Amino acid sequence: MSSFARDNASLPVRGSAWTIICLMILPMSVVFAVSVTDRPYLSLPENGVSLQYYRNLFTSPEWLLSIWQSFVIACVSTMVAGALGTLGSIGCWRISSGASNVLRLVMLVPLMLPPIVYGLGAYQVWADLGWINTYTGIIVAHAMTGIPYVVITVSTALAGLDPKLEQAARSLGAGMGATIWYVIFPNIMPGILSGLVFAFIHSWDELVIALFIAGRNVFTLPRRMWDGINENLDPTMAAVASVLILVTLGLLVFELLGRGRKR
Amino acid sequence: MMTHTPETDTLKIRDLSKTYGKFRALDTVSLGVDQGEFLTLLGPSGSGKTTLLMSIAGFIQPDHGQITLGGRDITHMPPEKRSFGMVFQGYALFPHLTVNDNVMFPLKMRGEKGAQAARRVAEALELVGLSDKGIRYPRELSGGQQQRVALARAIVFQPHMLLLDEPLSALDTQLRGQLQSELKRLHRAVGLTFIYVTHDQSEALSMSDRIAVMREGRLEQVGRPDDLYDRPANRFVAEFMGVENFLPPELSGGQHTLALRAHALELAAGRGRVAAHVTERDYYGAEIRYTAHTESGVPLRFKIAAGQGESLPQEGDAIGLDWQDKDALPLADH
Ligand SMILES: Nc1ncnc2c1ncn2[C@@H]1O[C@H](COP(=O)(O)OP(=O)(O)OP(=O)(O)O)[C@@H](O)[C@H]1O
Ligand SMILES: [Mg+2]
Repeated sequence: MSSFARDNASLPVRGSAWTIICLMILPMSVVFAVSVTDRPYLSLPENGVSLQYYRNLFTSPEWLLSIWQSFVIACVSTMVAGALGTLGSIGCWRISSGASNVLRLVMLVPLMLPPIVYGLGAYQVWADLGWINTYTGIIVAHAMTGIPYVVITVSTALAGLDPKLEQAARSLGAGMGATIWYVIFPNIMPGILSGLVFAFIHSWDELVIALFIAGRNVFTLPRRMWDGINENLDPTMAAVASVLILVTLGLLVFELLGRGRKR
Repeated sequence: MMTHTPETDTLKIRDLSKTYGKFRALDTVSLGVDQGEFLTLLGPSGSGKTTLLMSIAGFIQPDHGQITLGGRDITHMPPEKRSFGMVFQGYALFPHLTVNDNVMFPLKMRGEKGAQAARRVAEALELVGLSDKGIRYPRELSGGQQQRVALARAIVFQPHMLLLDEPLSALDTQLRGQLQSELKRLHRAVGLTFIYVTHDQSEALSMSDRIAVMREGRLEQVGRPDDLYDRPANRFVAEFMGVENFLPPELSGGQHTLALRAHALELAAGRGRVAAHVTERDYYGAEIRYTAHTESGVPLRFKIAAGQGESLPQEGDAIGLDWQDKDALPLADH
């Protein structure tokens, strides 16, 4: 009787939970469905599935170039963000004073700022530097805005690290460099990897800043999708979106596996 | 195997000071430590023991003063160059390395490898009785075993000396006693200089060749355990050595305050040298512990062995207390 009542009571709770899950997943699944449409415009498949738009995507020089450019930009900016974010976090952890807390907050600013604000600012500064529409420009912008993701995950990993490990290592004859390399890095590796994954995803699907500083020479994937959506409703877009989602999901699964193995 | 440290390795600390803002964590500390000595820094919490040890290790830069090792100035030498083994309260073993690799670490940092290094690791682990735990990870060991690994790691590279900051305080009483005697045995076996920090008076007395008592960043007294126990320089040291009673000059009839242990006070047959009345009486089986107060409110603690007949004083009784002059320690200050 009581269990019946409880089941009844949980119905609205379960209902809303499922609604939320559906609302989160539905748009993504629709994209997958649309990407295999057999019709010549953005729509659900009618008479059967077709892979023509995937073929289209992987044979179109423009799309392939954008994928390649986005990939290169994401890789390089992730490396830069990873190096700066990790070293910055380690520095703050070692000093661990009021000043280092402020510094850590400063490193998180790009995350708290609306991307459009950062994009506008970057446009002004990059224009002076001649970085508009160059790899350098977009890589630097993505690296700077990717740093917060690394700082958050690495700082979390460092918070669980005994500060005496550094003193122990140095008393045993390891200089600062060797201490970071042989003791600190191995112990925060899961945090660093998570940070790299998030920084990569951040660059891989970043649009707003790309709108400001990417152009004819550097045409990232999200930027080309945006232009495509504005100009024509080619279902190739859905295929591209599916690829984007799959790559992102793949990275997240990799990140989860890495975390699971460490426990 | 590990007795290479030459005679010249005496550590000298001269006028060392360290301030944090206005707070003096170390106040003109001067101390010499002989080669092979077991020296203990003893003092209450916040007295500057860790600050002094970390200055010796090179992790804290003193504002003033000098540290020399065998005549060489090492005041500004980075810690990794000093070659001092360290053992911490929380062990600080590297969690990502096995026991073997933890102990190998200092050798690896010195570019030693191969069979020679592996043999030294095995020797060090044998010395602490953990030969069979080499392939384990630190988290798979008990607290006492982890502390032994930390010891092996700190001595395997034949350091000039071993610095230990309350290494046993995280362990339970029984294990503590066991590791105390193991540490003493190790000290004799390797002939290394040990500088040991503790706030446990009995630990300091039982283990040390010499004890340096610290208070508010200063050294109060340095001496052999029996020196400190029998001839404390002042009331602070006497209290730290467990002296219970302090008789001001007006009560003792002399020039100085007298320090008297509880067992030195005895119940007088008549009025005795000091009159008091009993305020507390605690039964402990083998003995009964009393607290009495004099007219002027000075507390006096004494003990009477149980089973001495029925004439034991009760709370509220007026009594007289006596002592022998040889048991009384005149103190220099108040
Ligand atoms: N970085 C610091 N900044 C400010 N004050 C400090 C700092 N390090 C130590 N102190 C102060 O210096 C004093 C001595 O500290 P220290 O750690 O040497 O004491 P200790 O004798 O080791 O005490 P415990 O037995 O509690 O470990 C303490 O009052 C402490 O608050
Ligand atoms: Mg301390």
